[in-house]
Amino acid sequence: MPEKKTGVYLCGGCGIAEATSLDALDAVAVKEFKVPYCRRHDFLCGEDGLRTIRDDVTAGKVNQVVIAGCSPRVNADRFRFDGAQVIRANLREQVAWTQPAGIDDTGMLAADYVRMAITEAGKSNPPLPYQEGPYSERILVVGGGISGLTAAREAALAGCEVVLVEQSDQLGGHARRWSKRMPQRPPYQAPQNNDVDRLVAAVEADPRIEVRRRSRVAKTSGGPGKFTVTLRQDGADQSIAIGAIVLATGWLPYDPSKLGHLGYGVSPDVVTSVALEEMLAAGALSRPSDGLPANTIAFIQCAGSRDPDHLPYCSSVCCGVSIKQALQIRQADRDSSVYVLYQELRTPGVAEEFYRAAQKAGVVFIKGTVKSVGADLTVIIDDALLREEVPLAGLDLVVLATGMVPNAVGMMDGAEEPSPLPADDINPLSPIAVAGYAAAAVPAPSATPQPPPTQFFAGGTPLLNLQYRQGPHLPILAQGFADSHFICFPYETRRTGIYTCGPLRRPMDMAESAEDATGAALKAIQAIRNAVEGRALHPRSGDLSFPKIGLNTCTKCRRCTVECPFGAIDETPEGFPIVNPTRCRRCGVCMGACPVRTISFDNYSVEMLTSMIKAVEVPEEDEAKPRVLVMACQNDAYPALDMAGIARSRMSPYVRTIPVRCLGSVSLLCVSEALSSGYDGIILMGCKSGDDYQCHFVTGSAVAQERLTKIAETLKSMALEKERVQMIEASIADAGRLPKILDDYMAVIDKIGPSPLKGFG
Amino acid sequence: MSAIAAADGRKYDLHFARWVYQNVDGGDRLPLCMQCGMCSGSCPLGTAMDYGPRKLLMMIRAGMKAAVLASDTIWNCTQCYNSWLRCPRQIRVTSILQGLATVAVKEGYAPKRPTARFSRAFWFSVTHFGRTDERLVTAFYYFSCGFKEGIQRALANLPIARRMVKGKRMHLGAPHRVRRTADLRAILTKAEEIETREKVSEAGR
Ligand SMILES: Cc1cc2nc3c(=O)[nH]c(=O)nc-3n(C[C@H](O)[C@H](O)[C@H](O)COP(=O)(O)OP(=O)(O)OC[C@H]3O[C@@H](n4cnc5c(N)ncnc54)[C@H](O)[C@@H]3O)c2cc1C
Ligand code: SF4
Ligand code: SF4
Ligand code: SF4
Repeated sequence: MPEKKTGVYLCGGCGIAEATSLDALDAVAVKEFKVPYCRRHDFLCGEDGLRTIRDDVTAGKVNQVVIAGCSPRVNADRFRFDGAQVIRANLREQVAWTQPAGIDDTGMLAADYVRMAITEAGKSNPPLPYQEGPYSERILVVGGGISGLTAAREAALAGCEVVLVEQSDQLGGHARRWSKRMPQRPPYQAPQNNDVDRLVAAVEADPRIEVRRRSRVAKTSGGPGKFTVTLRQDGADQSIAIGAIVLATGWLPYDPSKLGHLGYGVSPDVVTSVALEEMLAAGALSRPSDGLPANTIAFIQCAGSRDPDHLPYCSSVCCGVSIKQALQIRQADRDSSVYVLYQELRTPGVAEEFYRAAQKAGVVFIKGTVKSVGADLTVIIDDALLREEVPLAGLDLVVLATGMVPNAVGMMDGAEEPSPLPADDINPLSPIAVAGYAAAAVPAPSATPQPPPTQFFAGGTPLLNLQYRQGPHLPILAQGFADSHFICFPYETRRTGIYTCGPLRRPMDMAESAEDATGAALKAIQAIRNAVEGRALHPRSGDLSFPKIGLNTCTKCRRCTVECPFGAIDETPEGFPIVNPTRCRRCGVCMGACPVRTISFDNYSVEMLTSMIKAVEVPEEDEAKPRVLVMACQNDAYPALDMAGIARSRMSPYVRTIPVRCLGSVSLLCVSEALSSGYDGIILMGCKSGDDYQCHFVTGSAVAQERLTKIAETLKSMALEKERVQMIEASIADAGRLPKILDDYMAVIDKIGPSPLKGFG
Repeated sequence: MSAIAAADGRKYDLHFARWVYQNVDGGDRLPLCMQCGMCSGSCPLGTAMDYGPRKLLMMIRAGMKAAVLASDTIWNCTQCYNSWLRCPRQIRVTSILQGLATVAVKEGYAPKRPTARFSRAFWFSVTHFGRTDERLVTAFYYFSCGFKEGIQRALANLPIARRMVKGKRMHLGAPHRVRRTADLRAILTKAEEIETREKVSEAGR
């Protein structure tokens, strides 16, 4: 590692010079920190300012550039100098734009941010990327339905080699069996010919796609760019190198035998919408019971869906599907009577045209709740529009619009090969529970290590059978859908380089599945490119650092392995953790988890954070100038604070903010060090946790919250009030609220008084 | 011309609904009703009806012929056109209600209703004279309430009538009529003929 030559560059632009004295800051750098090199410029991001820095770097005077000016969130592309590491002190958004100019408090705030940045520079090194090939750039697509076919085709069109694995001996998935499909073209009024065959033919004809039928994935190990996947075809195994994986294993219809209350089983003339597709494909409809023509038909919507006892969610396609099928029946038989019994009809966007077309064609929509279906097919419906219970008699066929169950955890396999439970010392943060299938009540996901549910559901072979320490399944969010960051990174799973698409993410129709699959394919390509270059994927796109574990002090406690949201850490046979850098997302949750703090990044460590915390000058008690430390998530909370600055909101001058990669990366040591340094209060500010989490690293804010519950003891032993350490959920939309939240917190601190630990630190 | 209904009165038997779709003016768009309730919400008389227009339209769909034709909804409609104007599916609610009123009269569902009797009086005057004659319409209407009530009402209104005559608002001779009543008859006969022909060809299709 070359010798560090730190240079501090003070920018006086954007109101900074007016707000605070640059001379004083210069003194902090040069006198207090003995930084050999401190320059100022009144427009640092301009060509001239940049040249000043660039010249110093080129001349070899400086290899660590500390820029005291605007937020690290802006001008990152300008302040980039080959051969130098850049560190930023935010004197603009967090000082000049939020504080009154020229007063003492403002000067103290600015000086502290300069101190922190210089300290950070001292504890940080330019990261050296992990680049240990060989890498595979081939994409594996699992599942040959609409989603898988589209993913394979799109990846191939982008120039990638693809292996497409399908368990059956035919491509096309469920959609192959549909006689017609919902309209895709204006005026969106008529069922359209099913064109899946065209897609199948295109995939089969593509020389870059290798299709393997009757194949499954026996196991998967490695990480992005470096997966080793064992494929099993007709009983024979073969291992291949794979760069990234798209999982498109689709869905299966909800088990109709659970729908006895809607008449399934009372008569052979009660059928599912899937069965009706086959009947429609076969030609004129007849009653399964006696073969007589069927022309009076009722559809029961939400059969099993939107029902807390079955699938609590809306399966989203069945309204459109029933409209399609009803129209097909009306078009084939002018004398038919077709009823759609619904609770709410969900026809978003252009699907409304389709609904109107069905009404025009004479399909009768009846809103209400089905009470019973008799053996003679009389449906009793509590008619919400007539406000009376109505018997619907004389029906030939009752069709149950059954919902979709995601196939994210090997639902198709029945009981053939029960899945091995993940080792009970590794907590799969989200237990696997598939709605309507969980045999026993499953506890809600929580960050506390707890034994995994012993009963998953009947059978289920892990689809990829991951040879990860965290177990063979993809983590599930709820109801059996693969976990994904719904708001920001939808295709993402919690296993880096593995992307899900189609109905195993949420119920989707063919068009949505195809669009989803295209996204997943592009993500897979991106994952491979980043792996090859040693870079992180989003949200830390381009980050070259990765965690390094000092095994000499590691106690093999496994906290890192357990808490890593992405299953990036495996174990050596001796039980030591090993990081798979291409699986790692650089969130630092492992770093925050490690009780002996032996995990660090080149440019991010517990030591760096605690040193920055201690670099702040905490005034004596009698000065009545409290200090509150805010550790703010870089993804949402810190940008929100910046936005408050951009809006020129006044913010408390007593707050010192340190951006962190994720709240999960905050070690409890940071909190206790801050307390013993005499800070009056500490706020961890980050994303929402829980089922509707917004944490960019999925479980980071949840583990932070969990860890904080343990701080209560520490506070007690230090005779400190519990209010001194708080967690605040903040999203990007909270910029307007945050100044007030901080003021309110300052009022609390005012009330409980200064920390008794001042002056001992 | 009789509006078909299910022989066994089965709910949601579609014969009556389809008959209305084809035979009642405005019925063609009725299948598009999505039961949003805009008509009932907009109707100034909605609270004075057995069923608001929305529900009546659903009852047509449900095949409830007797209840639909016996309802006072179709009679209390003032033809203000609010519902027609506001219906997001452009259903001509007003026309449909008026059409149903005609059917109700023809099929004997509403012989006693004052609005029906008034309409008949109006129709009589117009078809016979080509004009409405106040005395004729009022008298026809009053006496349709029964002989005794007819006398009572006529007497009660005598002072008004007197003043109207004095002010030349009413005359005393024979009712005014259009010049060529024979032509008017011919027009009406032709209209009836066309209507029947259309119904027959509809039925034959
Ligand atoms: C009755 C009905 C009618 C519908 N009609 C329409 C319509 O008209 N229009 C429309 O847009 N949508 C329709 N849909 C929805 C549509 O069917 C789905 O959106 C579509 O099937 C999703 O395709 P997919 O490829 O994601 O999943 P699937 O079609 O389920 O394909 C998954 C594929 O993966 C394979 N597979 C599964 N597990 C493995 C494994 N472990 N290893 C290897 N391969 C595996 C399966 O064999 C299958 O080929 C309908 C749905 C229903 C229920
Ligand atoms: S799509 Fe329609 S039928 Fe299906 S669950 Fe949702 S609301 Fe019910
Ligand atoms: S916790 Fe985060 S930083 Fe640590 S190994 Fe996992 S992904 Fe990487
Ligand atoms: S037209 Fe008739 S039904 Fe429609 S709002 Fe007016 S009064 Fe009511």
